[in-house]
Amino acid sequence: MTIVVGYVPKPEGEAALERAVDEARLRGEDLVVVNTSSGGSYADASWATDEQLAAVRERLTAAAVRHEVVHSIVGREPADHLVEVADTVRASLLVIGLRRRTSVGKFLLGSSASIILMNAPCPVLAVKAPGGEHWRSR
Amino acid sequence: MTSSRTADPASAPGRRQGLSELLVPVLLLGIGLAVLVDASGLEEGLGRSGPVGPKAIPYAIGAALVAAALWLAVDVLRGGRGEQESGEDVDLSHGSDWRTLGVLFGALLVNTLLIERVGWPVSGAVLFFGSAYALGSRRVVRDVVLSFALSIGSWYLFVLGLDIELPVGLLNGIL
Amino acid sequence: MDALANLADGFATALTPVNLLFAVVGVLLGTMIGVLPGIGPAMAIALLLPVTYSLEATQAFIMFAGIYYGGMYGGSTTSILLNTPGESASVVTAIEGNQMAKRGRAAQALATAAIGSFIAGTIGTMLVVLLAPSIVGLAVQMGAPDYFAVMVLAFVAVTSVLGASRVRGFCSLLLGLVIGLVGIDQTTGQQRLTFGVPQLADGIDVVVVAVGLFALGEALWVAAHLRHTSAQVIPTGAARMGRADWRRSWGPWLRGTAIGFPFGAVPAGGAEIPTFLSYVLEKRLSKHPEEFGHGAIEGVAGPEATNNASAAGGLVPLLTLGLPVTATAAVLLAAFQQYGIQPGPLLLENEPELVWGLLASLLIGNAILLVLNLPLAPVWAKLLRIPRPYLYAGILFFASIGGYAANGSTVDLVLLLVFGVLGFVMRRYGLPVLPAIIGVILGPRAELQLRRALQISDGELSGLANTWFSISVYAVVALVVLLPVLLRVLQRRQRGAGPGDGTTSEAPERVLHSSSEGRL
Repeated sequence: MTIVVGYVPKPEGEAALERAVDEARLRGEDLVVVNTSSGGSYADASWATDEQLAAVRERLTAAAVRHEVVHSIVGREPADHLVEVADTVRASLLVIGLRRRTSVGKFLLGSSASIILMNAPCPVLAVKAPGGEHWRSR
Repeated sequence: MTSSRTADPASAPGRRQGLSELLVPVLLLGIGLAVLVDASGLEEGLGRSGPVGPKAIPYAIGAALVAAALWLAVDVLRGGRGEQESGEDVDLSHGSDWRTLGVLFGALLVNTLLIERVGWPVSGAVLFFGSAYALGSRRVVRDVVLSFALSIGSWYLFVLGLDIELPVGLLNGIL
Repeated sequence: MDALANLADGFATALTPVNLLFAVVGVLLGTMIGVLPGIGPAMAIALLLPVTYSLEATQAFIMFAGIYYGGMYGGSTTSILLNTPGESASVVTAIEGNQMAKRGRAAQALATAAIGSFIAGTIGTMLVVLLAPSIVGLAVQMGAPDYFAVMVLAFVAVTSVLGASRVRGFCSLLLGLVIGLVGIDQTTGQQRLTFGVPQLADGIDVVVVAVGLFALGEALWVAAHLRHTSAQVIPTGAARMGRADWRRSWGPWLRGTAIGFPFGAVPAGGAEIPTFLSYVLEKRLSKHPEEFGHGAIEGVAGPEATNNASAAGGLVPLLTLGLPVTATAAVLLAAFQQYGIQPGPLLLENEPELVWGLLASLLIGNAILLVLNLPLAPVWAKLLRIPRPYLYAGILFFASIGGYAANGSTVDLVLLLVFGVLGFVMRRYGLPVLPAIIGVILGPRAELQLRRALQISDGELSGLANTWFSISVYAVVALVVLLPVLLRVLQRRQRGAGPGDGTTSEAPERVLHSSSEGRL
């Protein structure tokens, strides 16, 4: 069985990854790390650089988790893509990071989390970033 | 900056571009002839002052267009190719996306036809929504809200802020 | 100094609270637009022309002055943080700037770009202030034949110097001239090329042409070939730099200014060539040549200063002769015409408040840019997250408002669509847009001056070249036309024997002469 985690180079993404690694070791399952961008804008803060993903791989190797990294520009919502990946690998668990957002922000920008929750083929584990403190991505 | 040149002229897409490239000289020739015909209908004597009448320049430009059309046609037939304009956000590795262009053109046309009937606040919103949809935006609720916010906001900006008239149409009395 | 006293008056005009506000708005809009990769300053000013219909000319131009320099600064921010230049002239800056950013020196790269732009823009604008009156002094005696000669030079320069293909440049110019013909003939009152459409009798509004070709055509072209990629913006704090960076930057700033200004003043194809020259020069002069290609600060400082100085230089022919040498200058010229103002020798006499106010606001705008952009760079970078669909939909949206507001008629929207499609076709088949817009703007004026000149000489063609000024302009025209041909002949002669030509020895000398003069 496989665990799928949606990774973004932000606090909530790091938190999700950390939790996903723990789950994978606990259950002895493989891990698929997904980082996608819709390619809809010039700059996308959720799109990880190669260096950032190299660091992720290193961390997974160090934790002795068998893993695969999906890093692609998909031309549609990353949330939809994440659900698809979970579908294709018949994931046992989908781990996502949640960020704090106001209700107006949710209305205007939509909520990726709700898309995932509604469409995911498996249980979803939602993780919040460690609260309050300022967190710098590596 | 990445700029990919047009394909090797020997390859199939290259040859196809070669043929469509002749469209430009044909267009120029047509315009040139139209200018010449129009010029021939002008009266030379009418209220004329000076040795150069109203015909001279149109004749010269029309003739130059015909000559330029021939020059360009020769250039194309000898293998000359116009270099497609590259840009920071332009990806020339695939051909023109005619579907997107078609919808964009449609949105612009709808605005042109509707602006005086339904007013800018509605036709402008249709234009923005249609264009964003054509360009791949699929967040319908957000797009609709944004479209109307922009069209109504710009209407207020122009009419109240800048004193420039834009048709109010359907929303007359509401705005 | 007369010029400085006039400039002080200009400051008095520009420093009223309202005008200052327009300068700030212009700088903010310009930077914002410069940061966005899809929009250049020419398109930005074209899109803003309608917004300024109801403004006073002075206020509009104060705003445009901010956009003029702001647009360039925004371009360099993008190229440093994203490695995709927002402006073609920023290509060279991107090489070293992006390397610096990748090595964690983004703040320093942004700082040297901002301060260098400020210094070059200030020196450049002061040079315009000092040079313009004397050039106007020379040009004020110009008669109809001289004006016509200058316009012929403009036509020839934009078609043969810019762009890869002469024949395509020529075709583009002719298209512009045809558009300029539409409307009532000025001397006999007959309608030309109106095809019975009453709204065409007044001619086609140059704003509609500019918005159609520059904004709509460009947006359609990009939309048809949209990239679907994302990049990470390199994170940065406020721009700042240390003492060592200052020591390494001031030389390149000054040398860049010296290279950029004269290149900007002549129709030599924009800022790409001088910025590249500056890069090569700094690489040669640097004490750290090994750093080039890995983030040398000189490679950012020099080209950025060059870029801005060249923009300032471009104002000299625009304000003194009414001769635009870049797309942005051409749109500015269209803006002048919208207010019924003819740039040229008489501009300084007829509209001193406007011109000196414009020059003063260029200096003010430059200072505002520096103050705003050192701390704001991280904020500007956030703009790059705007989804592309909204960006290009927004361009079509504002282009349409502009097209309609020009005369409040749907006929203009139809024309806008026609020019938008024309702009698309031109980009598809490699026809440069600049010659067309220059044809539209200068064509009718050229016809008027030609008719006047021949009226004075009673139809004698020699009346077109009867002053030392017109003769020397035609000499330059001949040079621009013949030089490439001569070079080809010379190349061929190196391979085999070719016919001798008496004029060859004169030509290169003139080039040397004019360029050494310009470098002062």
